[in-house]
Amino acid sequence: MTQHMDVIVVGGGVIGCAAALELARAGLRTVVLDRDPAPAQASVRNGGGVRAQCRNRVERLLAMASIELWQRLLTDTGADIEYRRRGNLRLAFAESTLEALSQEAAEEEADGLRTDVWGRAEVRRRAPYLSDRLVGAKYCATDGHANPILATWAMLEAAVQSGVDHRPGATATAIEVDAGRVRAVRGTAGGEPFRLETPLVVHAAGPWTRELAAPLGVTLPLTPARNAIMVTQAQPPLFDEFVSAHEVGVYVRQAAKGHLHVGGVFTVEDTFDQRVSTDELERLARVVELVPALRRSKVLRSWSGTLDLTPDHLPVIGRPAGIEGYLVAAGFSGHGFCLGPVVGHVIADLALGRPPLVDVSSLSPNRFRPVAG
Amino acid sequence: MAYDVAVIGAGVAGLSAARAAARCGARTVCVDAYPLPGGQYLRQPAGPEAKPSRLQRRGRALADSAIAAGVHWVPGTTVWALSDGVLETIRGDVRETIRTRAVVIAAGTYERVAPFPGWTLPGVMTAGGVQAQLKAYGQAPGSRAVIAGSGPLTLVVAGTLAAHGVRVAAVLESGRPVRRGLAAPLSTVAAMAGQPARLAEATRHLAVLARRGVRPRTGWGVVRAHGTSGVEAVTIARFSPSGTPLPDTGKVVPCDLVGVHNGLRPATELYQLVGAELVRRPSLGGWVPIRTETFQTTVDGVFAAGDGAGIGGATLAAVEGEIAGRAAAAHALDRPVTVTRGQRRRLANARRFQALYARCYPPGPGLSTLADPDTVLCRCESVTHQQLLAAVERGATTHAAVKSLTRCGMGNCQGAVCSPVISDLLGDTAAGSPAARPPLHPLPLAALIEEHT
Repeated sequence: MTQHMDVIVVGGGVIGCAAALELARAGLRTVVLDRDPAPAQASVRNGGGVRAQCRNRVERLLAMASIELWQRLLTDTGADIEYRRRGNLRLAFAESTLEALSQEAAEEEADGLRTDVWGRAEVRRRAPYLSDRLVGAKYCATDGHANPILATWAMLEAAVQSGVDHRPGATATAIEVDAGRVRAVRGTAGGEPFRLETPLVVHAAGPWTRELAAPLGVTLPLTPARNAIMVTQAQPPLFDEFVSAHEVGVYVRQAAKGHLHVGGVFTVEDTFDQRVSTDELERLARVVELVPALRRSKVLRSWSGTLDLTPDHLPVIGRPAGIEGYLVAAGFSGHGFCLGPVVGHVIADLALGRPPLVDVSSLSPNRFRPVAG
Repeated sequence: MAYDVAVIGAGVAGLSAARAAARCGARTVCVDAYPLPGGQYLRQPAGPEAKPSRLQRRGRALADSAIAAGVHWVPGTTVWALSDGVLETIRGDVRETIRTRAVVIAAGTYERVAPFPGWTLPGVMTAGGVQAQLKAYGQAPGSRAVIAGSGPLTLVVAGTLAAHGVRVAAVLESGRPVRRGLAAPLSTVAAMAGQPARLAEATRHLAVLARRGVRPRTGWGVVRAHGTSGVEAVTIARFSPSGTPLPDTGKVVPCDLVGVHNGLRPATELYQLVGAELVRRPSLGGWVPIRTETFQTTVDGVFAAGDGAGIGGATLAAVEGEIAGRAAAAHALDRPVTVTRGQRRRLANARRFQALYARCYPPGPGLSTLADPDTVLCRCESVTHQQLLAAVERGATTHAAVKSLTRCGMGNCQGAVCSPVISDLLGDTAAGSPAARPPLHPLPLAALIEEHT
């Protein structure tokens, strides 16, 4: 049986749900197809960072807008997503790192993002739990962290409240294009095939976006990669900030129930395998170089998610050339959770021909196309 | 340290596997979480003062013969990660990495418990927990006991308590095992005829109880525990043939110790870590590894034996362990493996009993059946029945989704008790088994930093 919808969102993660929410609010009959029976992938398997500082410029502008939209979602829905807006700390162990952070602070200031650069003494005073080997840190008070599971469910439920037809367990298997225009999405649900006619598809299926886009002649350079996170036993409150150090390659936050979540900026590439190796746990254990007291803690468990890396580690947002009615939002390279609300907004803007909330032309999928000649 | 064969678990299956592997000439290590060998069934007394029982003497003899065969027995040591021939272990704060060519997983089971209102009161334990205390210390953790649930262990524990001088107020089996056994009398007789030791054991426990005027009741169970700082009484009720309590049949029985037990389920975490495929077999206790006839899992060089690969009892565990140990040695030493005629016969015999057990004690109606809305089902994270139902209502239809929304199973025990409750609640194999990732047990973070051998 064929049904007709105004827009079909392929992918029920935070990006897909945010896009669906905005599209439904604009009055479009919107379907979300999620091959998982419930949110299951990177949207609910990430570090929960909600930050604008220390980003590439376009991501910074997106994140600043997204953080406002997260606030609005929470105000609108009353959902508790364990959002702690109590700062993000990027640490510096070397003077050269601190210099680079200072330079970045000036650029952020120019974009209206207030950050503070702390020297050694200020780190000691403001964050005595940190290693005394630090030479400084950059602090952004308006950043924070949240529970990505509760946040993704809140986004999903807000979308459903706004009239989105959410179809868990429905796997899209093909996007039909005819004469350069999107016509329909085919798939299976509960063992039964379906076909939904639509003039508009938003494709936000994380690392799985690549395989469904390829038959359309759209080559997306997305590499699946595993990102592991380990969790300590619950502890009394230690700190509120989301803390990270690229020199060590780890980040840490204390979640609402007192557990420390430790993640890494490294990934295991080219895999959909979500088992966590001892090697990854050992790399994450370097968190004691940031917060020495954690040496006495116990690791309770770990988990991992599958990211979609792009060559430049920036997302792909926009319209692939040559196909009317096809929008892609993927390749978030581990930055998708925080950006969910704004990307949803921008996708809706592009779909409806509105001026986009943030200019994302530099993130176009066409940036990867080989240059002719 | 490097070995040909590493056996995880020193219960009946593990010791049998380790001994068999060592006798084949394989350098064999047997890693066990407990300080003394024997696992649950052959658990040894904790101190020298206790007089060992016949089972305990058997366990000691099995362990001694394994060690005599050359097995390196590593007690008090937990395996917290397993992959590609590497066991990561921890003993206290000391980490050791063991490399091996083949692995036999004989890690045993967890007890299934159907939570009821009051089950978290001190004095309410698993029947297996009561039995473990009796075996290790020769002492009961109470003076007036009610043992309830389903499975032959309830009878064993009640008999052992009575023999230790504890007043047994009630022994309740919620199923109808005798009726089910008699429904197919020929195969029941055939299965029991091969198990003279079991018949003798059951008769002994029944006799001990009978001398004290205790008659086990079938079709009854505990539905509520009462008390303030500890259990003071329970309400018991008749159960329907489908395993649910019948209204207006309740009676209050005073007691200070309750042992509950709703069968066993294999511990599957190690299979999941190593990537061995599982299949759901409720008659074998839940999720079990897919195995070849020499008990290799779907992962090359990884074998599984005993109750931890499918509930079947000690006789089956012994012969499975023996075959798996030989097969693991053959794999490690690159030799062909043979199963002897005697092993086949013992296997067939033990499997008849396994089938009888499965027939007499079918899986009940679900572990959350007895819980009130506000009964805590996950003790570590204080998650109530109602919270779990609300998550399912929200659309959390998978094990992972329920766990992530409610925190049920995220605590220190990592779902040992509550994860089958979630499985039963979702009631569908498509809901998936709970994921397992390292560390399997709380691990000192320092163990991931310090240089280790």
